[in-house]
Amino acid sequence: MASALLPEFFALLGIDLFLMLSLLTCLLDDRMPKALPYIYQMAALAGFGHILVSKNFFTVFGDYMRFWYCFIYLLVSLANIVAVSVYFGVAKKQWTIAKFWSGAVTFPSILISIFFVANYGFLQGMSFPLFLQIALVLSAIIMGTSVAIFLSPEVLRNRSGRKRR
Amino acid sequence: MNLKVLPAKKSMKFLALLLTSLLIASVSAAVYYSLDMTSTITVAANDIYFTLGPDNATASVSIFNDNKSATLGLSAYKNITMTYDDAIRVRNNNTGSSHNVRLRSVSLTGNAANFIYINFTLQTSTKVSLNYTSDGSSWTTPSTTSFVSLSASTEYAIVIETKANATATTGQSATIEIAIDVEL
Repeated sequence: MASALLPEFFALLGIDLFLMLSLLTCLLDDRMPKALPYIYQMAALAGFGHILVSKNFFTVFGDYMRFWYCFIYLLVSLANIVAVSVYFGVAKKQWTIAKFWSGAVTFPSILISIFFVANYGFLQGMSFPLFLQIALVLSAIIMGTSVAIFLSPEVLRNRSGRKRR
Repeated sequence: MNLKVLPAKKSMKFLALLLTSLLIASVSAAVYYSLDMTSTITVAANDIYFTLGPDNATASVSIFNDNKSATLGLSAYKNITMTYDDAIRVRNNNTGSSHNVRLRSVSLTGNAANFIYINFTLQTSTKVSLNYTSDGSSWTTPSTTSFVSLSASTEYAIVIETKANATATTGQSATIEIAIDVEL
């Protein structure tokens, strides 16, 4: 029998995403605020505290509550990844880095998160219809490609050129 | 950004962040692993238990311990087969699924010279029985039966047959303890 995924797994995933963000923003510190890597480290540390609280109040908190606060933590980390992508693209106008970030960090992170959330739902006995699975994969592919296309400066230039004409 | 020309200050900063990241990630994973090892055990009601059959008074059946244990007071007559058709039953109270059970001999005391056999048969579709036989000097203890299925929400009688030796002494007794193993 497959061992069930605990809700705290999402917190663990969120911690790893924050740590990855911290290291990547450290490498890109000439383009990012200097304090950002440390803020992400603090966020990861907060996630660790999160898991510790879960461990100590394991029997007090129900599965439902544990799932939601861990899932929200994961969503916050994903939102930060998307925010960095938007920061490069919109605030800094560094399209190449924004495109690279979206393809190499944002898209895989979201895809991995969706995979584990779907897997958790399946192990909890939640019915996950086939059409929904196909729709999920399709939307993930469409999201990935559309993010890459929309952040492509050539496409944007062509669009704005067409509008001017 | 070129990794080859990273300034020393930046390298040190990155190294420090990398070390703290490794520390946080490994400690978090260790705590998650210990969480994964935490088991929650819930007390559940047993699905399989004894119920009284219509002939329970004849066999002086007494059920106790939340219907998980029972005692019977049986008689054996000299050279006559005595059959208790439906003194006690085994019930599968689960409404959705069947359970497998088997009969297992636990202990036997009493003088073998007084008895010919004492037989317990569970009336499932494939009947299984524990047959204690005596050759007049010693008992032959039966081996544990194979597992048989009890359908959901169904009761099965245990038929008991006894026969005492023609030369048995009146008032002598044997005590047999059997167990019903339940496979969940």
